[in-house]
Amino acid sequence: MKSRAKLLGTAVALLLAQQLTNLITPEWARPDLVLAFALALGLQARASEALVLAFVAGYAVDALSAAPLGLHALLRGTACFATRFAERALYLRAPLPWAIYAGAYVVVDALLVVGILEAFTAQGAPGLGGVALHAPGAAVATALAAAPLYVWMERAAETGDEGSWPSLARPGRL
Amino acid sequence: MSELLDRLRYPLTYLILALVCTLTMASARTPRELGLGPRLVLRLTLPLERMVTFPVGVVRGFWHEYVALVDLRRTNQRLREELARLGEQNLQYREAIVKSERFRRLADFHAQEDVPMRPANVVAQDLSPWFRSVVLDQGGAAGILPGMAVITDEGLVGVVSGTTPRAAKVLLVTDPQSRVDAYVQRTRARGTVHGRARPTCAFEYLRRDEDVREGDVLLTSGRGALYPKGVQIGRITGVDRRPYGLFQAARLEPVVDFGTLEEVFVILERRDVPTAEEFRTGELVAEERE
Repeated sequence: MKSRAKLLGTAVALLLAQQLTNLITPEWARPDLVLAFALALGLQARASEALVLAFVAGYAVDALSAAPLGLHALLRGTACFATRFAERALYLRAPLPWAIYAGAYVVVDALLVVGILEAFTAQGAPGLGGVALHAPGAAVATALAAAPLYVWMERAAETGDEGSWPSLARPGRL
Repeated sequence: MSELLDRLRYPLTYLILALVCTLTMASARTPRELGLGPRLVLRLTLPLERMVTFPVGVVRGFWHEYVALVDLRRTNQRLREELARLGEQNLQYREAIVKSERFRRLADFHAQEDVPMRPANVVAQDLSPWFRSVVLDQGGAAGILPGMAVITDEGLVGVVSGTTPRAAKVLLVTDPQSRVDAYVQRTRARGTVHGRARPTCAFEYLRRDEDVREGDVLLTSGRGALYPKGVQIGRITGVDRRPYGLFQAARLEPVVDFGTLEEVFVILERRDVPTAEEFRTGELVAEERE
């Protein structure tokens, strides 16, 4: 129970941190903290709960942004889902590979935004020009933020009362 | 069987949630009252967001009012020179105003009513890097409705895209979903201002033969039922003339600095536009005849 509360607390703290980051950093270098969190959720042992939380975190972003409702929920859920599978192919359980993965996923996420918006709301897509302008800086900033977030979540796992949520997913069935 | 279900639980959870999100996204398009979920999120996070934005505002104020004043002497000298130049220009404008005032009175049969406005503070910015919106601390309880235009003393900010009783979400003109019908003040050339989720916007659907130059001021045209006429949007910073096609395009820099936006005015007037259904059934025509 305590571990779930920790996860929820982390999600709320990251939403507020995102708001603060948006106020003090230049547009071209804003980390996507909620994306980094959703990716980290993909490594959690309680896969389904983590997936639902990723969707909920994305939904909160939708509610606090001009995005069509459901867009970020879908994207953050997909990020969590994809990480679960990517973790088997790539060695992500160390800060450096994890940061590189998070940075690369920012670009994938940006392309998904364009693709989904083109498919559902053709009027409102930011366009590939916008992606090219924002994605590189955002990728680097997110990678830098993702590494300490990973370390923090791993440490929190060691001190978790139930020892399951933050403990990293073991290879095996999903 | 149970093992199979156990194996499929994770992908099935994803598929179901993804389907729900997709359906939600496909069904939500026009500005309207926010649904229960977004209202709940806004209500829960607004006090927390205020706690985050308030200290940033205090630090910014300290910086602008104390630290940034080290360059004051040079700025003062520059402003004095500018004042002298503007004084001379002012004389010419006064003459022009006397003339235009007479023409305006002749043209306006009806006295313009004062537009009711509601001041509001910006309490949160868009969390997504791909969209541009802000959240205001006033909402439906203050008479603010979706579709109302939002301005500052500098120019156009955007349009209210959703409300709760105590908050309103404003779609900025720099958002990719924003389109504003506009014209060039100098030549009256018309086009559409399109947000691009960047500091600059695009000025599109501008006829190829129109005269548009860098530095030209863009104003809202009043067409499109969302924005009032004559509100300043920005200045042209570059023109792309291609050797082919019907239109030319330009880039503009909005006059409003959205990065430091703190206080805005919501115009408490909303012009209702006929729906596609009303157009189809001809109800609009019938009402106008009456």
